[in-house]
Amino acid sequence: MKSEILHRKLERYVNGESMPAETRQIQNWLSCTSKEAPLSPEERSLLELEILQEIQSFTAYPLFFPRKKKAWWQKITAMF
Amino acid sequence: MSRFLSPDQLLIDRISHNDTEAFEQIYHLYWKSLYLYCLKKIESSEDAKIIVRSIFTDIWEKRHALPVSFCLSKHLYQEVRKKVIKCIFEKLAVLESRKSIEERLTIEFSVLSLQAARRPVSKSFTIINKPSELIRQQSGQAGTVHHNNFETLRWIFQSLIDKFSFTNLLSYSKN
Repeated sequence: MKSEILHRKLERYVNGESMPAETRQIQNWLSCTSKEAPLSPEERSLLELEILQEIQSFTAYPLFFPRKKKAWWQKITAMF
Repeated sequence: MSRFLSPDQLLIDRISHNDTEAFEQIYHLYWKSLYLYCLKKIESSEDAKIIVRSIFTDIWEKRHALPVSFCLSKHLYQEVRKKVIKCIFEKLAVLESRKSIEERLTIEFSVLSLQAARRPVSKSFTIINKPSELIRQQSGQAGTVHHNNFETLRWIFQSLIDKFSFTNLLSYSKN
């Protein structure tokens, strides 16, 4: 499929003007999740932190809603 | 608060009360599946990160406007698909990235490769009866059998603490 055709097809889909067959084709493509992307545990934890930090800097929620201090028994149980 | 609410609905309810911990809990639960899905579809780590970030930023910013019948998993499913399509659409407008997308999508949009989406989902579906099975599946130890491991004990302990703190809250609200 040429990129021009795909671009027009996606434009119609985004605007909600695509034909039923086109919609089905795009939705089928979106539902195909056969391939598996590898992600090491270190990479995963790094990414997790990185994205969370980005969200925090975008929304600035730690600034507006700082965390409350936990009770002593909650701190102890968190160690387990 | 109704006791018939699902854990996701409880977390959403907490988010609407500006609970940042609940928000982070939702993030830790769903970020990986969203990220991997985007990575599979777009094959760009940067774009996948941007999509995940925008989905969670939207949830936080619209937390006071979320409807009562808000279903988190359904919302995430719809949003990630919408954003993936928009990302590819925007990339196709750029000449540099157009060729790589064209090469990949020509194969992926072929009839043969799309047939995989029509296969029944129930192929590898198993009903989980015990919490220990759920923990083993989540930690990637589905094949091994050890019922009373450390993770199970931790899970039991954590649920007891949650229950204890919840009853404390109830008694506090009654007083």
